[in-house]
Amino acid sequence: MVYDVSKLTDFHYSALKEISNIGIGNAATSLATMLGSEVKVMTPDLKVARIEEVAEFSGGADKLVSGVLMKLSGCVKGYMVMLLPPESAKLICNTITKEQDSDIKNPMNESLISEVGHILGSTYMTAFSDFLKIDVFASAPFHTYDMIGAIMDNILIQMSQEVEHAIILDTLFTLKGNDMHGKLLTLFDPISLELILEQVNALFR
Amino acid sequence: MIVIGMADYAVTRSPEKLTTLGLGSCVGIALYDPVTKIGGLIHIMLPTIENARFTDNCAKFADSGIPYLIEQMIGIGAVRRRLVAKIAGGAKMFSFNSDASMNIGERNIQATKVVLSEMKVPIISEDVGKNYGRTVVLDTDTGVYYVKSAIKGENVI
Repeated sequence: MVYDVSKLTDFHYSALKEISNIGIGNAATSLATMLGSEVKVMTPDLKVARIEEVAEFSGGADKLVSGVLMKLSGCVKGYMVMLLPPESAKLICNTITKEQDSDIKNPMNESLISEVGHILGSTYMTAFSDFLKIDVFASAPFHTYDMIGAIMDNILIQMSQEVEHAIILDTLFTLKGNDMHGKLLTLFDPISLELILEQVNALFR
Repeated sequence: MIVIGMADYAVTRSPEKLTTLGLGSCVGIALYDPVTKIGGLIHIMLPTIENARFTDNCAKFADSGIPYLIEQMIGIGAVRRRLVAKIAGGAKMFSFNSDASMNIGERNIQATKVVLSEMKVPIISEDVGKNYGRTVVLDTDTGVYYVKSAIKGENVI
């Protein structure tokens, strides 16, 4: 039986947000270490959306971003996606390479952005997995600079064959004042949610 | 301008424009009757409704969505034998699905072509495959299909 996402209680919402908060907190610390600069994170948002609506929720289907995607495997099936507006991707590259005007389409910088996404995603998932005591692994990162809709639709197509809804943990982080901002999205399906909620219940009750 | 979401469709007549944003592996199929200037656009996600677990939205699939779109166009006055098709999308955005059978973009393109051929609607132009996203606009006044991408700029087909 697939968990009915409409039956998520306030308690579950808060618990999931809190776990996500720990994850993004750890991820921000590793990014800050890497960049030598303070990273701020917003309280995560949790959304349940029909698969067809996810691209719009992620910031607009035709908006251009640097996207890094990782597939989750283990007890939880899903994806992590880091979305960076081009100017933020450039700022990250400038900070790391000490260049003035990094070209984000240069292969070196693409792999740099990819690694940033990987570090953020895997630190986040490690925290998530340690806290809930379930095994989750993030795959190697895949990077592309394109429209959000195009980056997301492959994932959504894969998910849509199994489930109708996606659970999205949406976290925003900012760097250097507010000059750089990015999004880290965690998508998982209602089947994985069931397991996560069992662990939440076991830990909190 | 009517904006169509993922797994969504719309039909309209001149001078309205139809658009769908950020096609990756999905395919945007534009149908047009040049005489009545009636146009239709559908944003499909998957090749076939057969064996699908969720079948409530026929616009999600090439084989159920395209015939439905044609019916809707005929419903507002288009003539079937005059319909022509232009298609865009079906990219392979990431290399992680290295297995050819997993290339959903390519499967979507193939299914679209088969369905249109069965429905006897000729494909007069296309901008498909490759590895980048596309935003499309169908101008029902002219039947022109604008395909915009981050890398290639605007292609008029």
